[in-house]
Amino acid sequence: MGMNMDMSGGDNSTMPPHHHPTTSSDHSHDHMMMMMPMTFYFGFKDVELLFSGLVINTAGEMAGAFVAVFLLAMFYEGLKIAREGLLRKSQVSIRYNSMPVPGPNGTILMETHKTVGQQMLSFPHLLQTVLHIIQVVISYFLMLIFMTYNGYLCIAVAAGAGTGYFLFSWKKAVVVDITEHCH
Amino acid sequence: MHFIFSDEVVLLFDFWSVHSPTGMALSVLVILLLAVLYESIKVGKARLLHQALMNLSIPTSQQLIEEADQDSSSSDSLPVSRSPLRWFLCHFGQTLLHVAQVVVGYFMMLAVMSYNTWIFFGVVLGSGVGYYLAYPLLSMT
Repeated sequence: MGMNMDMSGGDNSTMPPHHHPTTSSDHSHDHMMMMMPMTFYFGFKDVELLFSGLVINTAGEMAGAFVAVFLLAMFYEGLKIAREGLLRKSQVSIRYNSMPVPGPNGTILMETHKTVGQQMLSFPHLLQTVLHIIQVVISYFLMLIFMTYNGYLCIAVAAGAGTGYFLFSWKKAVVVDITEHCH
Repeated sequence: MHFIFSDEVVLLFDFWSVHSPTGMALSVLVILLLAVLYESIKVGKARLLHQALMNLSIPTSQQLIEEADQDSSSSDSLPVSRSPLRWFLCHFGQTLLHVAQVVVGYFMMLAVMSYNTWIFFGVVLGSGVGYYLAYPLLSMT
């Protein structure tokens, strides 16, 4: 969202009088406050989406953006579940440390500590890091999309998250506790 | 953009415009309850997951700890589903809770984005109170 002084960009919140009669008192504020809508609205004209070249002007483009955002939210949920699964599968390096500790009656007992972890330079950890970066970027994109305050796009985010959770957590609910019986 | 102390804010929807201290106090209370709801939803999802796994008769870690003394000869690797319908309902309930969690979470983010300090305090306090009230319910069976 650049600081362009083009009042038509993203100004759906104040220009159409039938939308926001209550914000008519805001004309005395500086123009910077009206760049981004601060309340929810339904519309598909002049909707800037994340990047400067990506502007939605027609209903068809809004439908395409709806589908794209829906799939992005679904992909985000799937990525979260996939990362959990990969983490569990890669935690096979178990180190046992035994140390003698004094027990009752002066006997010596061997206490065994188990540590589960990954090496820093191993491939699973590098893969997890790359997936983590992708996950962070997508989560911020979804936040920014929700921040456009456009009703259609917000519904797409919520519906995509729900569908993604439904489809991918299904697998998680079946698999999760079979392997994690030691914790 | 910076945090300001102000009695005027427009939150989330057009009709939610606040002009007075009483309106602001009421709005902070509503946001606080919203944050409490968010924490409760998280706990609710975890409990539904626990119930779904019990319906699938996969031993959860709590049950295995209880069974540690007994001789459990029925521990297979394959889950025997007692009631697919109940499991499906649990999973569907979890999905609905997940959608509610996503929406409430984003609403709280947008409320903080109003850059009103009172609202921000409401979110933070509500998260604390919600965590305090809801998380003990997580280990209840």
